[in-house]
Amino acid sequence: MSTPTSTRPVVPAGAEPVAAQPVPRRPARWLVGRAGRRSDDQPPRGIVSDAERRTPVVRVALRLTHAVVLVALVVVGLGPILWLVKASISTTQDTLRSPMALFPSGVDWANLATAWSTVHIDLHFANSMIIATGAWLVQLVVATTGGYALSVLRPRYGPILYWLVLSTLFVPAVVLLVPLYLTVLDPPLLGVSLINSFWAVWLPAGANAFNVLLTKRFFDNLPREIFEAARIDGAGPYRIFWSVLLPMSRPILGVVSVFAFIAAWKDFLWPLLVLPDPDVQPLSVRLPTLARSIELDVLLAALTISALIPMVLFLVFQRTFLRSAGLSGALKG
Amino acid sequence: MRTWVRRGGLSTLVFLLPLLVIFGVFSWLPIVRAALMSVQQTNLVTAPEFVGLENFESVLGDPLFWTAVQNTGLFALIALVFGYPLPLVLAVLMSEVRRFRGLFSAIAYLPVVVPPVVAVLMWKFFYDARPDGVFNTILGWVGLGPYQWLQSADTALPSLVLEATWAAAGGTVIIYLAALLGVPAELYDAADVDGASIWRKIWHVTLPQLRGVLLVTLILQIIGTSQVFLEPFLFTGGGPANSTLSVLLLIYNYAFGSSLGGDYGAATALSLMLAVFLAALSAVYFWLTRSWSTS
Amino acid sequence: MRSIRKTATAVSAALVVAGLLAACSSSSDDPAAGGKTAITVVSLKPGSEQAAFDAFENQVRQFEAANPDIDVTSQEYEWTGPTFTAQLAGGTLPTVFTVPFTDGKALIERGQLADLTEHVRGFGYADKFNATVLQSGQSDDGGIFGVPTAAYGVGLHYNRTLFAQAGLDPDKPPATWDEVRTYAKQIAERTGQAGYAQMTEENTGGWMLTSLTYALGGRMQTVNGDKVEATIDNPGAREALTRLRDMRWQDNSMGSNFLYDWGTINQEFAAGRIGMIMGGSDIYESLAQQNNINPADYGLSVLPLAPGASAGLLGGGTLAAVNIKATPEQQAAGAKWIDFYYMAKYLKQDAAELDARTLAESDQPVGLPELPVFDKATLDQYNEWIKPYVNVPLDQMRFFSDGIFDQDLAGEPTARTQEMYAVLDTVVQAVLTDQGADITTLLSTADAEVQAIIDRG
Repeated sequence: MSTPTSTRPVVPAGAEPVAAQPVPRRPARWLVGRAGRRSDDQPPRGIVSDAERRTPVVRVALRLTHAVVLVALVVVGLGPILWLVKASISTTQDTLRSPMALFPSGVDWANLATAWSTVHIDLHFANSMIIATGAWLVQLVVATTGGYALSVLRPRYGPILYWLVLSTLFVPAVVLLVPLYLTVLDPPLLGVSLINSFWAVWLPAGANAFNVLLTKRFFDNLPREIFEAARIDGAGPYRIFWSVLLPMSRPILGVVSVFAFIAAWKDFLWPLLVLPDPDVQPLSVRLPTLARSIELDVLLAALTISALIPMVLFLVFQRTFLRSAGLSGALKG
Repeated sequence: MRTWVRRGGLSTLVFLLPLLVIFGVFSWLPIVRAALMSVQQTNLVTAPEFVGLENFESVLGDPLFWTAVQNTGLFALIALVFGYPLPLVLAVLMSEVRRFRGLFSAIAYLPVVVPPVVAVLMWKFFYDARPDGVFNTILGWVGLGPYQWLQSADTALPSLVLEATWAAAGGTVIIYLAALLGVPAELYDAADVDGASIWRKIWHVTLPQLRGVLLVTLILQIIGTSQVFLEPFLFTGGGPANSTLSVLLLIYNYAFGSSLGGDYGAATALSLMLAVFLAALSAVYFWLTRSWSTS
Repeated sequence: MRSIRKTATAVSAALVVAGLLAACSSSSDDPAAGGKTAITVVSLKPGSEQAAFDAFENQVRQFEAANPDIDVTSQEYEWTGPTFTAQLAGGTLPTVFTVPFTDGKALIERGQLADLTEHVRGFGYADKFNATVLQSGQSDDGGIFGVPTAAYGVGLHYNRTLFAQAGLDPDKPPATWDEVRTYAKQIAERTGQAGYAQMTEENTGGWMLTSLTYALGGRMQTVNGDKVEATIDNPGAREALTRLRDMRWQDNSMGSNFLYDWGTINQEFAAGRIGMIMGGSDIYESLAQQNNINPADYGLSVLPLAPGASAGLLGGGTLAAVNIKATPEQQAAGAKWIDFYYMAKYLKQDAAELDARTLAESDQPVGLPELPVFDKATLDQYNEWIKPYVNVPLDQMRFFSDGIFDQDLAGEPTARTQEMYAVLDTVVQAVLTDQGADITTLLSTADAEVQAIIDRG
């Protein structure tokens, strides 16, 4: 189970049989199809046939709707973000009095610097990164080792264990909010509260059945012969894991990584509960507190910085992101 | 024992160790604990006391419980009205784009990447109810408003849904888009041979092919919206006058809302009720897909 | 053989990881690092300006210099219900923390505060406190578990600049609730800002409704021996809500935001977007430290009290307490910190001067009007000591300092106070956001709900 209210995709019961199909190893290039290029991956056609496309009415209508869709997407999807960027370099008074005007009293670049240093966005940004990276690592370790054991090593108790893991998918994260909190307060064996320690976010993030499901499925579809060959060559289970399995698993590791990173970056309620000390709080937890005290222009600058970082990451790794997003649909379907 | 080790039993266990420890401590144990706590009264200071179904009774007897259930149901309903057909229409239109589809997808998906807390704080400012507020200014250009947005019990909940839809719709669009582009071309070819119009193709080929994914997103959306927390917590704190109090916010309030120690029993009891509801939804979904795939 | 060795390596690697885990998680403070007693204390509210934190750290250093065997770490802190519960349950409260008067008794009953009686006796002022003020930090048998560090009365804060812009005299704050209403209307009409606003969220709505009800002669609870009766449906509360409704819906003088808590209303007020608010008399410190208020804007007056013996001024305050989980050494050190940081200044000239000088050097407010936690003479003496360092516009607060001692101070309701406030939040929000809200029904429903909460015990 991932941390409560994280936005990891939930796979309901029926996903099991459908999702048994192999995870697409070729990136779904058609999703991000490059401008004007028709690659082999692009589907030959959609709803509108080539013949229909050639008729002027359809052609104009298509062009027009696409223009409308693009404008709507830009206004609705991009608009708020552009406004935020504008507001982050405007003065408070401008933003309050005429929020839609462009810099009536000039550009105020200082907001960004103030947000970054004085209200310590840098510190909380670093915390967010540490939290996301740690959660990502823990999830990768649990998913790959667990998936490997269940899929390749196959102990006799494996199916029961797999069932136990999958069954946690049906327990909504919220049920665990309070008991998980109490567990973190007084974890078994450790004897020390994990409150205010990053481990309190990292470790529960690892209990993500969706990741185990994804990796096990992926490993299941790898050709057995490779492992057999490696074994005959004298490779032990560790060597096979490290030198054979992992190098072949890059696509699925990418997908799990995107899910893990996004979920950790977005999580709010759980870190809010277990990280009461402001010095270790990530951006998502710190920003609402700051919103109550710092001036509006600085707050909006802080929000801009916090929004731009993941957006830049998205634009750089667009392919992996969209593939994961589409994949979550394929798995769900 | 020796043979077990030689057969790799031990190394298998080593590989399973992270999974066993992490799931054991942070998933299985808390699940058991939740079940236990729901029939106990505990404030973490004195020893827990077995109270049977009292926690469930006190939750069911709390007028706020019914308010929260109503609000959450309404949230889910409005979210469906806003957020269900729109991404589908968008995806169908986008699937016919041949150039720059990447640009379309990227812009549609962009709001999903914005951290939810940032989105909520930003929208909270958009919803400023002064005539100078962002939305009121924009609507003022076409002679509408000013509206109360978060400041009225009638409009607060829809306002939360609007933001939530903005933040999530892009993800749904991408899922539909993936499904749309997977529709076999032969089906369209066959329809063309029959002389079907574009509309008929959408109605008789596209939508039936999307049936599975449509149902899944429907159920997923209901499951997701039943757990809405961030929006009411950050936008309104459940107000005005409890009009945006959600089930999850009520759970949070039970557990952490009073300064003198939480009612963890009531919190877990309500959590379990929500869990049963969600499990029932999953079961309905399972049954539906089963009966479809066999027919 | 090889694989067994490898297995052993893997197992030991796992153990190392587990050890790392334990090491990292136990990095929380060790009570006696290097022979010193380590304590954590609460500092200032989150988001306070750097100079304020600097001043605080200076005081920490002064304390450590005077007590070389104590090591103080500070933690920013703002008392809110949810975070406090989580910290209480999580055992992450600092050694020294503060709670409002209303929570003192219940925390003592639940055994969550350390007994400070001996320490306070040692400081020599256990018997000097104002008896009613001390009560909220005392157990039933008179032990001191919470030290009252500051007391406030609810006052009327107003923006002098907005008053002037609206054609009102900033030196004539409203003296009746009718005047509050007409002033608010005038401010709203002439400046376009909210004339008057009121807190409604996170239990502050109930707190302020109770203040207004007190001022209009009503009371929310009556105590009969052991039995507490909720009297929320009283004429004072009805009048309070009716006045709010009229200002909101007839005059439209309350602006456009009706979801305010303590922090957000202060923020808006300091930014010059609200004409008048009710609030504890001590908020100027936070307005200056957190919200950068322009001192020239600020005015403070007493809350208008309706004529008649029953009208009273709601007051409250802050208790400093020591974590029950602290070791005896830490408890002693914590008590010393309470004495040093919060209390000594009221009784010792050198302490008063040092405190005032340190704050003034960092441009932090010195000399705000306070209500006495000891007696009035002591407070007057203290104000005399710090006079050279006063850096707040005391003159703009004279209507409060001059008038407050003529008002009858009434304590907050005692039974399940915060939960009652939570119920009342909803009532106030309903009146301010729903034009058709029926005040009588709202009050009688709330009355029944609160009675049920009290009876549940």
